[in-house]
Amino acid sequence: MKVVNYLSQVDKDKCIGCRLCETICPTGAISMFEKKAVVDENLCRACSKCEDVCPNDAVILVERSEPLMVSADVDTVDEAAIDEICAKADLFPEQMICACTMTPVKEAAAAILNGARTPEDISVMTGVRTGCGIYCMGAIQRLLNANGIELKPPANNRWYKQCLSMWDIPDDLAKSNPGYFIEEDQKIYRSKTKGGGQRDVK
Amino acid sequence: MLSKTMAPPKMMDSRYAPKVDVHCADLPGMVSQSVVELFPSIKPGYLQKEGIAQIRKFTEKTLADIDMTKIKPGDSVNILSAEHGYYLLGGEHYCEMIKTIKDVVRERTGCTNIRLRVAGGMHTKEADEIIKHFNLRAAFDGKVAGTHAFDKGVPIETEIGTLYGLAKVYDADWIIHASHDEQRDLYFYRMIDRVLKAFVMSFARYEVRSLFHCNFGSRSANFIQRSIFNSPFVQKKFAFGCFLRMTPAGITGVDADNDLDRLGRKISVDLMRDYGKVLRLFSEIDECVVVIDGSRWAHYLHAGGVVFGCFENSIYDAYDLSNHAAFGYYDLLSKIASGDEESMDQIMLAHPAIKAAVVNQSMPGIPWSDIAITRPTFVANASQAESLRKDPANASFMDMAEETGTLAEAVERACEAAGTDKVIAFDDSFGYITCSPSMAELLQKLAPEVSRKVDTEYLPKWLRQRGIDPKQI
Repeated sequence: MKVVNYLSQVDKDKCIGCRLCETICPTGAISMFEKKAVVDENLCRACSKCEDVCPNDAVILVERSEPLMVSADVDTVDEAAIDEICAKADLFPEQMICACTMTPVKEAAAAILNGARTPEDISVMTGVRTGCGIYCMGAIQRLLNANGIELKPPANNRWYKQCLSMWDIPDDLAKSNPGYFIEEDQKIYRSKTKGGGQRDVK
Repeated sequence: MLSKTMAPPKMMDSRYAPKVDVHCADLPGMVSQSVVELFPSIKPGYLQKEGIAQIRKFTEKTLADIDMTKIKPGDSVNILSAEHGYYLLGGEHYCEMIKTIKDVVRERTGCTNIRLRVAGGMHTKEADEIIKHFNLRAAFDGKVAGTHAFDKGVPIETEIGTLYGLAKVYDADWIIHASHDEQRDLYFYRMIDRVLKAFVMSFARYEVRSLFHCNFGSRSANFIQRSIFNSPFVQKKFAFGCFLRMTPAGITGVDADNDLDRLGRKISVDLMRDYGKVLRLFSEIDECVVVIDGSRWAHYLHAGGVVFGCFENSIYDAYDLSNHAAFGYYDLLSKIASGDEESMDQIMLAHPAIKAAVVNQSMPGIPWSDIAITRPTFVANASQAESLRKDPANASFMDMAEETGTLAEAVERACEAAGTDKVIAFDDSFGYITCSPSMAELLQKLAPEVSRKVDTEYLPKWLRQRGIDPKQI
């Protein structure tokens, strides 16, 4: 769960319509109207990326009148279905998918069960990737991709499709590069995956 | 012997770092423990701003042996730099090395289109701040560009698939990897391909950084930067690497090589021998209060040349490749939840000696709320507290931490809560450890045995694990 205390606010007089904030926003909360950035308060998770990237300091974070609680409730979905989604991606339901919000993978899986189909959807529904905005993206994409959800990167460069994991390294490369312990890591991490994963250990 | 307290290195101001007037070294009773006095085998180096002219000479000397014949007068060259170097002991030495590279390449090759690329860490304006502070636009005739993890990408076809680098990094005929060998976050890369790490962290899109941290183990993750570096795309552009050499006791020189792997082997041996001693020493501390004392992200602040992240994780030997433990993102909760008793001891939990923490200055942007959750934590001033409240990467930090009025008060409160007067400050110092007299006394007591064990037990094992015969060192 993430408690969102702040909200992005655009000073229209300062906004130059460069769209950098729209591109970087992990939840797709920013759109353009009459060449000015507009923030959807319902989607903003206060990651501050828009404030940071703005070349004219036109975006600031202001305190919300009431904190917004963001979470995908794992108790309202089938636990077995969560386990299956996580296992397909070789992720353990209890492990953190986002260190900033300390959100477990099972919450992102619940978001998928509740209809999330893009990284933006998962960020809106769980708050993940609205902290540092960097380190959880690979696991988010991996979770979506492993569950057959086609990843279609936005036309801007908000994100590129990148969901490679250690289990995707071809056998011959793993064997011919022993100094990287790829085969060992595959076995170690697989053994910790509840359900054992859906793919064979190489 | 204890020295008069040394002031921490003067860092550039940043819009991201809260303003702080008092550092731990300013507090009455603090001392500076010399790294070289603890470990006489560690080579002392330049600290603060001295030795800048010498860096130019070192760089010119090492570049004399570099083959630059591939670079033609009409070509374009990108010198690749990253933010961390600009903060090492104030950054002037790193800057001088980079400027010297430009001058030597121009003189040797006749090439005039030599550009500087500055890669930021977590924020989008870091590079611009660096370029302005060090007047790099003038030094490179305006041919300078900053870039960051969210910047436009360029696909790189590798043997493990398409990975995205940063377009501005690779928009030249040739690239020169201008870096440093400060150990940094060993717990992430395990001293595997240290010299290539920038290719996955500094010169890659954020999605690729995420793959490194979350989709691999801490050993296998290094195959990502290896694959990027070995790709035809990068190999076609790569000219040479030039590294500022450092020990925990300061800046010692500059080394360059056309063969980055050869340079990497040399650097890895030196790092394990020198940083290994300070790190093993830290692992043996029994109790302490840590002071996060600026000016950048907590995990990357130095004490005696070793970053706080390494100290925090030092109970586990990150050099030992038989240990599979990865940093917590991937492994921690899964092991706890699975109740796997056998591997619980390989979970990277924070050093149990850390009984309490003080935050005097730390940049926002990297998660480290685990400290505030698990330890009494005191935030020393209002500006730092406000920064943490607004830090989206540590949204609940201030729910657990307590704000105090001054640094002195915060340290006093932390010592009371911890039940110890052993204090160690991570204030970006090399050469010295800012600490309390009781901590210095403990370090002095422990160091001789740590040194012996590293020389006779740890280092030979670490070397053998990397295919290096200890007898050849």
